Amino acid sequence: MFGQLIIRPLTEAPEGAFLGVDWGAFVVVFAVALLATVAVVVFYALGLRLLAGGALDPVADSDGTAATAGTTVARRSGVRLAGAYTCFAVGAAAVLYGLYLIIPQFH
Amino acid sequence: MDAFLTVTLVVVIALAFDFTNGFHDTANAMATSVATGALKPKVAVTISAVLNLVGAFLSTEVAKTVSDGIIREGDGGVRVTPTMIFAGLVGAVLWNLTTWYLGLPSSSSHALFGGLIGAAIIGAGFDSVNFPVVLSKIVLPALLAPLVAGVVALLATYAAYRITKMASTRGSEAGFRHGQTVSASLVSLAHGTNDAQKTMGVITLTLIAAGYQGSGSGPQFWVIISCALAIALGTYVGGWRIMRTVGKRIIDVKAPQGFAAETSSAATILISSHLGFALSTTQVTSGSIVGAGLGKKLASVHWGVVGKIATAWVVTLPAAALVGGLAAWVASGSTLGLIGVAVAALAGGLAFFYFARKHPVNHKNVNETDEETRDAETVGSTAGAGAAASTTRIDEGK
Repeated sequence: MFGQLIIRPLTEAPEGAFLGVDWGAFVVVFAVALLATVAVVVFYALGLRLLAGGALDPVADSDGTAATAGTTVARRSGVRLAGAYTCFAVGAAAVLYGLYLIIPQFH
Repeated sequence: MDAFLTVTLVVVIALAFDFTNGFHDTANAMATSVATGALKPKVAVTISAVLNLVGAFLSTEVAKTVSDGIIREGDGGVRVTPTMIFAGLVGAVLWNLTTWYLGLPSSSSHALFGGLIGAAIIGAGFDSVNFPVVLSKIVLPALLAPLVAGVVALLATYAAYRITKMASTRGSEAGFRHGQTVSASLVSLAHGTNDAQKTMGVITLTLIAAGYQGSGSGPQFWVIISCALAIALGTYVGGWRIMRTVGKRIIDVKAPQGFAAETSSAATILISSHLGFALSTTQVTSGSIVGAGLGKKLASVHWGVVGKIATAWVVTLPAAALVGGLAAWVASGSTLGLIGVAVAALAGGLAFFYFARKHPVNHKNVNETDEETRDAETVGSTAGAGAAASTTRIDEGK
């Protein structure tokens, strides 16, 4: 594991690169990062909302928009919970994939 | 004897650079978690230090050249001498300490490249620097990194607030804090695998250049251990001054923003390094935080602070190059000059710590805002604050 030298070749700029930057790779990075982040955040937030079952925090956030929120009745059901955990599972899968990408011994 | 002295000094200053690297970059991963209270300050730096240590052991492959193509090394190019590497590292360390003192996040790799460029220009002339590579590997990525991370974080923050009705659904604040801790930990681990490796590379290539180690062999075990420990120790000691800037002064980060920003940072860093378009951790995380501020309220970003950070990024390379060049000029003359530079660098470093103690920022007061941003805050983030603010505040129709 240690002391093993892997020499990385100096990657040559591909054909069509402008100012030495591979803009194709850049666009791919942008698109994938955007999709991955938005997917994780949307699923996680949906999970939180399903878990709350429609109940709001009694403490309003800084805008004061939710001042009367504490009175809302929670509607928790099995379906909602299952949905919430499915959403969190998406996040967990993303974390595992992130670890896979970080740790070179996996690939 | 001379060669041995030079190599020893390179190893010492390289480890010092590694320490400042961890010290500087704790903020990237942990500032938002500290600011939202997701983690207590000491707990945050401990987690980050452990993950950096683990990360350093996970990845020990070193690059083929010190400068990654920025200096024309190898066949037909210049020979990067241990003295040049030493001078470059002096420039990088002193610049890292300057930005730490000013509380500004700046890229440690750019400081290192700057120092090396300065040393190479003095040692081998302007021709030794591959300027097109400087443009494509340093300048353009520095513009693109915060842009990508910022746009991604902006949309993610907007989505997070929309879905949870401005984070008012029960448990959402706490939920976002937990999520944020996980994303921030990924950023820390990724940092450990990338950055400790850079110092390992510098030391290993110096040992090879001086003939202490066979060409083409990997880092020795003591090099791996000491680099891992130096970056972890730096991370644990924590650049609290920078953490305050990143967590509180750019925007006052709230849990949903912290989660969106850290997730955006983690995704951008991991994807960019795996698709061969490496982006700087510092620039990605700073961009994410600005984006997270814009995603909630356009007016709550303190553009004055952002401007200072941007200026620091522009100055990083030339400033480190200037110090590196000066150090190379003095150090290459004689052994006495070399020792003189080492003593001056030590004195300079200690001076920064001395002055920093006059108005310290530490784990106790990291979340306090200062005068400059408190004024801006009442303007930007308190809804319905006052008539004085109405000209700058963006009306959200509430």
